[in-house]
Amino acid sequence: MDTTQLLKGVLDLAVLAVLREEDGYGYDILRRLRDAGLAEVGDASVYGTLRRLFAAGLLTTYVVPSESGPHRKYYSLNAAGRDQFARSGKLWRSFATTMDTLLDDRGRAA
Amino acid sequence: MTVTEQEIAGYVARVRGALNDLPPSIRDELTEDLPEHLAVVAVESGGTLVERLGEPEAYAVELRIAAGVGAGRRPVTGELTAFVNRVHARLNTLDRQLGRPLGYPTVRAFLHLLIPGWWILRGYLAAMLLTFLSADDGFGLLPRFDDNLQLGLMVLVALVVASVMLGRREPGPRTWPRHLLLLGNLLLVGFGLVGLVQLENRHGNDDGYYAPISVDSRYDHIRDVFVYDTEGQLVDYARLFDQNGDPIRLGYPDCDDVRDVISRDEVGSANPLLRGYPYCPEAAPFGPRPTTDASPPDLPAPPGTVQPESAATPTVPETSPTVPEAPPTSAPAPSVTPTG
Repeated sequence: MDTTQLLKGVLDLAVLAVLREEDGYGYDILRRLRDAGLAEVGDASVYGTLRRLFAAGLLTTYVVPSESGPHRKYYSLNAAGRDQFARSGKLWRSFATTMDTLLDDRGRAA
Repeated sequence: MTVTEQEIAGYVARVRGALNDLPPSIRDELTEDLPEHLAVVAVESGGTLVERLGEPEAYAVELRIAAGVGAGRRPVTGELTAFVNRVHARLNTLDRQLGRPLGYPTVRAFLHLLIPGWWILRGYLAAMLLTFLSADDGFGLLPRFDDNLQLGLMVLVALVVASVMLGRREPGPRTWPRHLLLLGNLLLVGFGLVGLVQLENRHGNDDGYYAPISVDSRYDHIRDVFVYDTEGQLVDYARLFDQNGDPIRLGYPDCDDVRDVISRDEVGSANPLLRGYPYCPEAAPFGPRPTTDASPPDLPAPPGTVQPESAATPTVPETSPTVPEAPPTSAPAPSVTPTG
């Protein structure tokens, strides 16, 4: 099992977490995820996830003119997105705790 | 458009191609900030976009899965598109694998270096095509116009420079000039290949400079002609004519003492082909050599007229020739009666 496989399940939550700090555009969000330690996150995965979350009504977008190059599409969490983040966050914590416990018990036995 | 911009445009086009089965609105939405993203990636990291992000088709699959749009509405051409994409990806893999032994990241990168060479070749081919179109007869490997090599070389230089400039020019947004250029390139390549094949064929039967003189290729091996009269005597200064009165020229004087033969010719013609047969009496296959003091006949010997007897019959030598079929007799030559 590698990080890529794990990421598939939690990328939504990771993107929501990054956007909860601050709005961002595609490449900016990708960089912040990488800086946070998710080095193996794929470019296309992040862009695709942003589209899906937007289509699900969890994000809003707005365009910011850029002095160099084309305008940038910024994403921000809306109310539904914040709700989703809270629920997914809770789910993840409980899941992670379960996994930790599992690994600790089995790890001691091994 | 810079190389990077071309690379980005190509990458975007292939990603969009791989998403061809999606409704246009969804596809546009998925790829709308792809060019900008690729531009940033190209600036921040070395190597090609493919090295950094993987094949565009793989990128499209990842995008599709992450966006949860799945296969979407598959048009009839979907299967075909998928197949084309698979072939494309396979070719790209091959491109990289074969490039490694050459010492380049891809074969394409290696071929890219050869493009200026093609521009020069294209100029040369264009000049040769003009030569071919304007020439009435044969031409060589250099362009000529009206048999003027200098003019040909000037045109060659001009066309090579024009071809290089055309190659360096950035491709315009309109497609029809590019199609026209492609058509022209294909035409020149075809012309070049045909020329190459012709050159290769010419190598085989380029047999000598007097080949065009010979009557027929069947007589190519004939180097000299020996005429014997009814007495079995070698006729010197014999001339052959066809039904139109045109001289029949066979062979070429290539014996060692050809200079003696020519100097012996009182006509003094500079062209040894104008003297009679045989060119090299010493090489006669049968019998003794004709006496060398035989005076040459008057040069034009039109058919129908009769030679004076003394000239028509060479003097009989004392030794008899050793021709079995026609043993010479010592009888005098049959006299010729003039016929008006």
